[in-house]
Amino acid sequence: MKTTLAISALALATASPALAGKPEVVANYIAIAHAGYEDSLIAARDLQAAVDALIETPSAEALQDARAAWLAARVPYQQTEALRFGNAIVDDWEGKVNAWPLDEGLIDYVDPSYGGASDANEYAALNVVAAPTFTLSGEDIDATEITPDLLSGQLHEADAIEANVATGYHAIEFLLWGQDLNGTDHGAGDRPWTDYAAGDDCAGGNCDRRGDYLKAATDLLVSDLEWMTAQWAEGGEAATGLTADPDAAISAMLTGMGSLSYGELAGERMKLGVMLNDPEEEHDCFSDNTHNSHYYDGLGIRNVYLGEYTRIDGTVVSGESLSSLVAEADASVDQSLRAGLDDSVAKLGRIKTVAEGGTSYDQMLARGNDAGEGLIMAAVDALVAQTQDIERAVTLLGAQDVAIEGSDSLDSPDAVFQ
Amino acid sequence: MRTLLALALLPLPAMAGTPEVVNDHILPATDRFATAAHALADAAGADCSASALDAPYRQAFDAWMGLSHLAFGPLEQDGRALTVAFWPDPRGLVARSVRGLVADQDPVVDDPAGFAEVSIAGRGLMALEQLMADEVGDYECRYARAIATDLATIADAVQADWQDHAQLMLDAGQDGNDRYLSAREADQAIYTALLSGIEFDADQRLGRPMGSFDKPRPKLAEAWRSDRPLRNIELSLAALRDMAVALSDDPIPLTEAAFDNAQAQVAELQDDPRLEGVTDPTQRLKIEILQQRIRAIGTAIEGEIGGGLGLTAGFNSKDGD
Repeated sequence: MKTTLAISALALATASPALAGKPEVVANYIAIAHAGYEDSLIAARDLQAAVDALIETPSAEALQDARAAWLAARVPYQQTEALRFGNAIVDDWEGKVNAWPLDEGLIDYVDPSYGGASDANEYAALNVVAAPTFTLSGEDIDATEITPDLLSGQLHEADAIEANVATGYHAIEFLLWGQDLNGTDHGAGDRPWTDYAAGDDCAGGNCDRRGDYLKAATDLLVSDLEWMTAQWAEGGEAATGLTADPDAAISAMLTGMGSLSYGELAGERMKLGVMLNDPEEEHDCFSDNTHNSHYYDGLGIRNVYLGEYTRIDGTVVSGESLSSLVAEADASVDQSLRAGLDDSVAKLGRIKTVAEGGTSYDQMLARGNDAGEGLIMAAVDALVAQTQDIERAVTLLGAQDVAIEGSDSLDSPDAVFQ
Repeated sequence: MRTLLALALLPLPAMAGTPEVVNDHILPATDRFATAAHALADAAGADCSASALDAPYRQAFDAWMGLSHLAFGPLEQDGRALTVAFWPDPRGLVARSVRGLVADQDPVVDDPAGFAEVSIAGRGLMALEQLMADEVGDYECRYARAIATDLATIADAVQADWQDHAQLMLDAGQDGNDRYLSAREADQAIYTALLSGIEFDADQRLGRPMGSFDKPRPKLAEAWRSDRPLRNIELSLAALRDMAVALSDDPIPLTEAAFDNAQAQVAELQDDPRLEGVTDPTQRLKIEILQQRIRAIGTAIEGEIGGGLGLTAGFNSKDGD
């Protein structure tokens, strides 16, 4: 009797976590992805309203409101970046909304220190805001009306050069903040609100066209996010594809976590900037928001593993997690990976704390700033360390072809290091 | 008894040659690079003119190609691989950094510790190439010396750290080894470096100058000023082949045949060391064929070595956009 009881108790104890299967984990991942893109869309619509208000009634306050809306919009979006590398549908689309770094002189006026057209990019100083007509790769372009179609169809990645970023968050960021001319000293871009003022008050010239550009880019961001949100809704292409193949979906989840942790965030966005001492290597360089963009990337990676996402209205989306699958296979790997993710989020959090305290990310990149370098490299090391445990999770769950699929570097050589 | 017999009859998984890779491929490559980097530093100390540095620069770059594919461990630490050779450089940061230091006559070149803090775009083989291409005066001379000395310091550190990392790889799975929890993890690190190296040759060393058919970009080729684009691919393929052969204990005829094919195509291109032919439709076709053949090596490795050893590639430090 006692034996039977013990066995059934044991069966209960082991059965309940074992019920979390791959399909449930994938369903929760899709729910988190959908919520993340829907939040990004909601926040982008707030930005759109603020941009409309700025153009309608330009003022210092209206510009400030639009900047605040842009910063808020980055919070949910950056958390979705953990989805990117595992899902071709995201990776193929991502360049429209978050391409970086950019030769901003393509869009608007720049400081003389920026230089002009270069060997690498003859349109680096095209200045579409000031040029109603111009020639691009031998084609005459009529830009008298600045429309979303002009931006996405003709200007974006013009001349097959990725630095010609005409759309997305960073183009909008440049139009709201302007160039950050402080180098590795404190201070973000300082565009005057009068760049959007009417008539004689217009400071930078072509204020109407600048407003048209900002409006077109923001409208485009909203429509791009509408499209991506729909892909993750029930019946959407991303949701359907992953649901149909849970093994591939688990692989996509881990690929997204590992590729963002290692090659992209730790490598290209963080370590490279430190090693180049280059403030242009800041992800959100015009607004000095890089500490946040990195932090929410890190949080997004952890969200995928823990199967939990806190929405911008405070509700929590959660369910069966990758963590439970890995724990079933090997509790020590799960424990180590969870500790690693907590560590990287904490180290990225330190950068955020210091930046919010007044030492901005570009200052940390300065040559000889050992404290700043230490802060950044501690986060880099944590991200690299967690990648090893992500690889172990891949091995445990039998996920195939991780890191081979979904890497932009494979099908688009020019993309790497842009 | 029957169980035991059945187990004994199971085919053993093929063994990976991680010890051979470490001892016969990696460690000798770090020795050769250290020797060449010191020869360059000695030459720069004696005479820093571009003509005097030309040969030792080429030998150092040649030696670097013997280990540039080892993207994990000591070369990943402190970004050493990118410091030795900062490429690709689509934004022209090497030229900008070198000319910036020269224009400022920045005294940092006279202080080795300070020079180690300079942007990596202003250090290493690519910066030296840029400097040798520009006019040489007293400042440029001191700058060239600083780069060469810095390279020798990095090469020494890589050589020393690889001694330790080699032990970690050989002791994979032993107590206290947090880096490699099993022999498979060490095998996978090498296997990932092998496939990433092939991918880098095809997508970057060839893909960058190829650009698109309408917009070829020969000036984006690696080290074109010193006529090295094709040579670097040739030396990289030789090093990767050496590593592939060492990694597999079994013969790898398909992989070796794929290397033969690609290396034969390299021989076809010897009259175009800078790969400037990307702009010419006929010559471009030959370069495209080389790219396809290098990609075919990757496919052969995945089937023959990955399949044989039960390995898949891990994350690649060059993933990302």
